[in-house]
Amino acid sequence: MASPPDTAAIGNALIGHLLADAALAALMPDGVFRDVARAGKQRYVIVSLVDAIDVATYDGRAIAQGLYLVKAVALNNAAAAEAAGARIDQLIEDQVWPIAPGLDLTTAYRVADLGTVTELDAVDPDLRWTHRGGRYRLDVAITYTRTLGSLVGRT
Amino acid sequence: MIKTGRYGNVKWDPTGATPPAATLVAVISLNKWKASFKTDKLDVTFFKDVNKVYIPGMKDVSGSVSGFWNSDELALFEAADAEIPGLLELIPNTTEATFFWSGLAYMDADIDCSVDGAPAVSGSFMAAGPWTLAGGTLLAARRAEKAA
Repeated sequence: MASPPDTAAIGNALIGHLLADAALAALMPDGVFRDVARAGKQRYVIVSLVDAIDVATYDGRAIAQGLYLVKAVALNNAAAAEAAGARIDQLIEDQVWPIAPGLDLTTAYRVADLGTVTELDAVDPDLRWTHRGGRYRLDVAITYTRTLGSLVGRT
Repeated sequence: MIKTGRYGNVKWDPTGATPPAATLVAVISLNKWKASFKTDKLDVTFFKDVNKVYIPGMKDVSGSVSGFWNSDELALFEAADAEIPGLLELIPNTTEATFFWSGLAYMDADIDCSVDGAPAVSGSFMAAGPWTLAGGTLLAARRAEKAA
């Protein structure tokens, strides 16, 4: 493999890991979305990449550190949002799941609790959205064989 | 030519064999090396000198390497335990691989394991024999070229 593996697989695997949990699906039946949910959804999980850093060694890209916002969002159902937030934490904190060849999750943990946030619906102020989740850091070891063929001898 | 340090490298042969018999292998998961070539300066100041005056003494060669702990390879820690010096090669940029410093060296090793990151390793070395710069033209040789 001449190029490092595509780190987009890290976020995809995180979403897949959350989607695969029956307990979370029962609490948030509308699914797990990247950044923005589809229109009309009322109980769902949002996953967003907040920040990311690649760490290099002489062997090439070695570690991908990603900070992900993961939160449950529910309309007029704070209890479901809070229960789902707790389930999200159980599914991520100190857990490991497969990502892709060349990408190995080494650690996953929460770095910030977002608390429970309530906001009024933008259209109907009688409706309340509850958000519950946290910011999670995922460290992924990257293994691949780098080639410098095009660089060697370049003047 | 100015090159990036991204393609630097550190190679090590624990047997201490010298080239061409040496079998140098890249130490994996390192991302920094540093070498120092400092020469002792001897104070030869006279009573009537208006400032201190020095002459060069013996050159010292030492330095450090650092990176991340990788359980696939323990070369750094094996080197720290070795009773004989190994051959160390320090390459600023592997796309210009004919330029490197090398020589016999003794190694020490450290590991720094923090809860919020990958365990970091570092090692320090000191010369155990003459060190040379391959591919470059050292000062004395350049002076000789200019004088010729």
